[in-house]
Amino acid sequence: MDYSFDFQSVSFGPLWEGLIVTLQLTIAANLIGIVFGFPLALLIMSRFAPARLPAMLFVEFFRCTPAIVQIVWFFYCVPMLFNVFLGSMTMGIMALGLNLMAFNAEAYRAAIQAVPREQLDASIALGLNPLQRTLYIVLPTAVRASIPVLLTNGIGIFQQSALVAIVAVQDLMYQAKTLATETYRPIETFTVVALVYFAVSFPVSQIVGYLERRRQLIMS
Amino acid sequence: MTMSFSAPLVKIQSLHKSYGPHIQVLKGLDVEMKPGERVVVIGPSGGGKSTLLRVMMGLEKIDSGSISFGGKPYIFSEGADRKTVIDTEVRRSIGMVFQHYTLFPHLSVIQNLILAPCKVRGENKASATKRAQALLERFGLGAKASAYPAQLSGGQKQRVAIARALMLDPKLMLFDEVTSALDPELVAEVEQVILQLAGQDMPMMIVTHDMWFAKNIASRVIFCAGGVVVEDGPPEQVLGSPKEERTREFIDRVFHIRH
Repeated sequence: MDYSFDFQSVSFGPLWEGLIVTLQLTIAANLIGIVFGFPLALLIMSRFAPARLPAMLFVEFFRCTPAIVQIVWFFYCVPMLFNVFLGSMTMGIMALGLNLMAFNAEAYRAAIQAVPREQLDASIALGLNPLQRTLYIVLPTAVRASIPVLLTNGIGIFQQSALVAIVAVQDLMYQAKTLATETYRPIETFTVVALVYFAVSFPVSQIVGYLERRRQLIMS
Repeated sequence: MTMSFSAPLVKIQSLHKSYGPHIQVLKGLDVEMKPGERVVVIGPSGGGKSTLLRVMMGLEKIDSGSISFGGKPYIFSEGADRKTVIDTEVRRSIGMVFQHYTLFPHLSVIQNLILAPCKVRGENKASATKRAQALLERFGLGAKASAYPAQLSGGQKQRVAIARALMLDPKLMLFDEVTSALDPELVAEVEQVILQLAGQDMPMMIVTHDMWFAKNIASRVIFCAGGVVVEDGPPEQVLGSPKEERTREFIDRVFHIRH
């Protein structure tokens, strides 16, 4: 192989700006996903069909279609169908946030169902009513139990956010594509970009591993 | 609560309970318990011992029958669809401790103790905390008030669970195999706490497999098998020289395993 690497041509200025946008997308999408995922989980578990069925449809739509299709659909169809256009950044956040909300709802649901039966028995024996049981026992236990999955989903959306580059959001991936085209150095550019994504994701995945080990210790 | 001396504290009448259409666990169970009695329930697995306690606590629906506490029916089935009615006010006089996993893992020991008094009875936090701390001291757990359940041994967890139930000033305590999940060396410290309560005349109903403990704590022993009471009498009789053939077989088997 006679390719000579030239990392000099990778300019960090635009990549840095792109990273900031990517982080903004990730954080905003995570706020939507973490906050609204919980009520969505309660709706999925509702015994009341008119509440449960639309919620399940919502979750299954986001889980069973590719994220890139969701983003493109959001970007082109929402403005046409509803006659609103909110700016590419907002649209990107909405698409990623709703996607994450669906996945987090499933994480919350699993955690709520994993609250040991004995805990509920004990809280009934102590005289707590259903609302008190949900607020003081189920909610705190379930939120804690789902933190590792929420973080994993969170890193997932950080990486999925690269997809919004195709609808002209100027994120890390968008800047990388532009830079690679300008410099004719795609290998070096995308190698650096891969390292940047890795450098952000890796510590979070380590935290997930740590939390899971600690949780196994607590539950044993 | 006022009642004449010999009036029953608990009266269980022809209690029926099944899980699904085929598994009948309680088949017309009758038990009376006088104030101050400590009733130990023994019997083979699946004989309905734990189900009896769970039903008394209102954790399970019943098919038919009724349970009264202090002369007042608080669990019974009603109407054409035999809906189980539970009087939660009366039920609050009863405390229960389970086999395991019942401390709330996200709350410290003291928070576990004061949750129900504060939220259910509206007691203020300062007074509940004071009572809780005193109770923990009494059970040798004073230093563990701010520990979390994960930091406690199995025996400590069960002692905290007992203290938590006592915070609501129960008039009757139910113990469902509270030492069954413990390592053998931790059993004694939990049984000591229950014996301490017995010394204060707390009425209790205990399901246990520990015959030594049964002998030590019981004022009366009930042998329960096949969903009915087979034998009911003083511990010397039921554990020592049972009248019923089925009781004798069970006692022989249990003591044979233990020696």
